Amino acid sequence: MDAKDKVKVDIKRSIQQSADDISKTIRSLFASRGIFALNMISSPGSGKTTLIEALLSRYEGKGNVAVIEGDIETEIDADRIRRHGVNVWQINTRSSCHIQPIQLLNAMEQMDLSDTRLLIVENVGNLVCPAETSLGEDKRIVLLSVTEGDEKPLKYPLIFKTSDILVITKTDLLPYVRFNVESVRQAAKVANPKIEIFELSATTGEGMPAFLDRIESFGAAKRPVS
Amino acid sequence: MHELGLATEILDVALAEAARHQAKRITTIYLQVGVIRAVEHEHLSFMFDHLSKGTLAEGVKLSIEQMPVQVECPSCGVIESAAFAWECPKCKGNEIHIMGGDALDIVSIDIEV
Repeated sequence: MDAKDKVKVDIKRSIQQSADDISKTIRSLFASRGIFALNMISSPGSGKTTLIEALLSRYEGKGNVAVIEGDIETEIDADRIRRHGVNVWQINTRSSCHIQPIQLLNAMEQMDLSDTRLLIVENVGNLVCPAETSLGEDKRIVLLSVTEGDEKPLKYPLIFKTSDILVITKTDLLPYVRFNVESVRQAAKVANPKIEIFELSATTGEGMPAFLDRIESFGAAKRPVS
Repeated sequence: MHELGLATEILDVALAEAARHQAKRITTIYLQVGVIRAVEHEHLSFMFDHLSKGTLAEGVKLSIEQMPVQVECPSCGVIESAAFAWECPKCKGNEIHIMGGDALDIVSIDIEV
């Protein structure tokens, strides 16, 4: 073949462009409706659903909270949340290891979010892939339970780099495990100097008020764009 | 696990560009992948070999450029690092800030027309 038949075509675009475009659509939906959205990410079993249940107790009777649950399979988490009498939707991601933006958009279209002021999205339990995908959220929260080990920020830096809030959970178990809170705080701050860190136990309630106050203050600051 | 999704997206973009230029074949795809992205290169190439069978990209070479992170240190300035850093590679200080390293871009393709 003649050399002139070979051509270099410049593209320079992000591989996740289509996912990013959908995330932008979701973000503008949140903005126009005045919905404050949280994307909760952690390993399986760090206490995401338990923390959401504790969060819901603060909003009980106010009727303006909705929850979207993400799991590979089952409605177990949605059933737990439903007992609190809130608007809940379960996404089963099947072959995907995180909630895809299109799955979130589809769920939002099927839900009645007209009165919703706070939307809590619980991502699939995984510290790797959810870190790479924006769901258009206002704040990203990463949970790390003290039973998982204090080296997690070193092993999975991206999720700590991209999160706004780190919640260290199950602190009531600290006497029984080797977990250096200070080294986790320091590593998380290196990954993201702006990260806000809370230590709490959703079971005993220790540390919960400060976290709940902070979430409430974020939500109150967001109003619909007219 | 997510390399399959990434390989599919890369192939879609490359095939669309190739079609736009009436290419007969895609010979090389140039990618830039940040070092803190969880992308396993061998796994990606393996997925790609399978997905590209019977397309214009069959037998294509994946050229992957690893993009470093920039470590910003108050004493030493900006230093490149080939891995996520927890301290300044130079002075070992930990008052650092990490920038970049999260690219996942398709830069260009070589085609035969």
